[in-house]
Amino acid sequence: MSTQTLDIGERHSVEELEELAYELRSKLLHLCGTYEGAVHIGGDLSCADILTALFEYGLRVDPTDLANPERDRFVLSKGHAAVCMYIAMAIRGFFSYEGIVDTYGQLDSAYGMHPCKVQLPGVECSTGSLGHGLPLAVGMALSARHRGDDHRVVTLLGDGETGEGSVWEAAMAARSNELGNLVAFIDRNRQLMTSFAEERVVFEPYPDKWRAFGWNVVEVDGHDMGQLVAAIDGLPATDSNLPTVVICDTVKGKGVDFMEHNLAWHAGSLGAADLERAMAALDASRAEASRPGAGTEKEND
Amino acid sequence: MPVTFTFGEMLSARSVIGTTLAELGDEYDNLWVITPDIGATLVEFRDKFPERFLDVGLAEQVSVGIAAGLAYDGNIPVVSGMLPFLSMRALEQVRTDVCYPNLPVKIIGTHGGLVGNGGSTHYAVEDLALMCALTNMTVTSIGDPLMVGEVIRQSMTMQGPIYIRLAVGKKDKVLYEPGQHDVQIGKGIVAREGTDVTIFTHGTTVAQAIDAADELAKDGRSVRVVDMFTLKPIDEEIIVRSAAETGGRFVVLEDHLAYGGLATRIADVVADRGIRLTSFERLGIPQVYAGFGDDEELRDKHGYGLAATVAALRHAIATQV
Repeated sequence: MSTQTLDIGERHSVEELEELAYELRSKLLHLCGTYEGAVHIGGDLSCADILTALFEYGLRVDPTDLANPERDRFVLSKGHAAVCMYIAMAIRGFFSYEGIVDTYGQLDSAYGMHPCKVQLPGVECSTGSLGHGLPLAVGMALSARHRGDDHRVVTLLGDGETGEGSVWEAAMAARSNELGNLVAFIDRNRQLMTSFAEERVVFEPYPDKWRAFGWNVVEVDGHDMGQLVAAIDGLPATDSNLPTVVICDTVKGKGVDFMEHNLAWHAGSLGAADLERAMAALDASRAEASRPGAGTEKEND
Repeated sequence: MPVTFTFGEMLSARSVIGTTLAELGDEYDNLWVITPDIGATLVEFRDKFPERFLDVGLAEQVSVGIAAGLAYDGNIPVVSGMLPFLSMRALEQVRTDVCYPNLPVKIIGTHGGLVGNGGSTHYAVEDLALMCALTNMTVTSIGDPLMVGEVIRQSMTMQGPIYIRLAVGKKDKVLYEPGQHDVQIGKGIVAREGTDVTIFTHGTTVAQAIDAADELAKDGRSVRVVDMFTLKPIDEEIIVRSAAETGGRFVVLEDHLAYGGLATRIADVVADRGIRLTSFERLGIPQVYAGFGDDEELRDKHGYGLAATVAALRHAIATQV
């Protein structure tokens, strides 16, 4: 991702990353099937490929050395996807998956609906209220610039949260301060909680909005691991002067057919029977994705 | 700290902010100053440390969010601006990004209370209620311009966030000789000793309380003036002691809503500690949007000017159990 002073080990192939993304989704569904409260499963599934690409390929982090000053900083601006981040981090080796699934949402657990750094030091900051992560990331990127550090600050936003004005304040601040060490991934799943985004809020022309704010804009299919890896490989040097936004076209509920494009699955709980059904759907979509020629056609929505 | 200013002279608290931060920038290479387009006070710091100065323009929310991001990375950020906007437009950033993770972000601002003739959009009159409600936040309101520098300096070693409220900060009366009082965040200052009644106050109205005490002294009345410049954590000991030593007679004067600010903080201590009072009077802004006028005119109009303060003190002293 950038000049390597912190060893991130051997990088995975695209195929291995796809396998890890499947593992992340299956663990997400398992948690959603065993935890009785609501899990933001739709928005978790839409960013599962992005978080896999980041934690298993893009981010220069060391699970055994959380405070290493050379680490890349990751800010989950869409804090509603905390579970997806916890599990992606668990797969990367930060914590055990069993620790998450056994205690999630319970009294004194480190793992809940939105990430808290005080309770879980492995995460970089406390988020959950939308529109806050990009400003935090701007502050971290400024600090890195000032120190002359070469790590990146990477944040993941949902497209819905970019309705918050504070996002655009931060977009201006990032450009004004020429923070080429800042990268925002957008999980562009085009769904809000209660509506399909463009029905209620006109986001388009979405990439042009970021271009108008002076950002380097990259557009990818957020479920195509090859494209995600290419976007990461193609990031400008950290001492460049334009912040980059990687707009990832995604599907809310991706991988489980009855959740995809379904407003009912913004958040929910599966239960044992539906877990079995969801796992079958996940396996079916995986088989479909590995079919020869798959990936060359547009998402069948 | 300059030692040439003495009681009654006028000094700009804003210039003290600028001078102090410029000095502290040498001592703390991780001190940053951020402003949403209210940077005139900060030119000394800006010119000396341009790489640690950030003017984000008219964007209070991101000024606080960026400060939190800097603090997460080991820096000590100061956000300086106008308090009506930092305390309300950016309230959620203050609460969620700063107070929740208990980061050492300092919010230093002007226009606390009915000052500046700006009208109600530009008066911070609810800010202390809001800030006192936030877990981890230390809340101060300062009248003496020289104290501003001392409080900022002390705050540099604090772990969590602090809110430092000033009035306009352009022309402030020096209340204390430098070194006259041991200024400690969390401790009230006895600005005048007295035995008949205690008036608790903070910020710009400390000078008015002293004037009122002087007025009553002409009648042989002894008014204790407590500058409660820290509202949170509140100095319980000085409240308990003053109740015992001034006949259980309290007046609270503040340039803030009469409910929700210092009077409420003191009433909570009185209730929680089971203190028996002879009288308790609140002087502050009633539930109105105050309109235009200069500071003194507005205080008179809304019932907490000098004349009202003198009357409240007399009434408290006359009250019998």
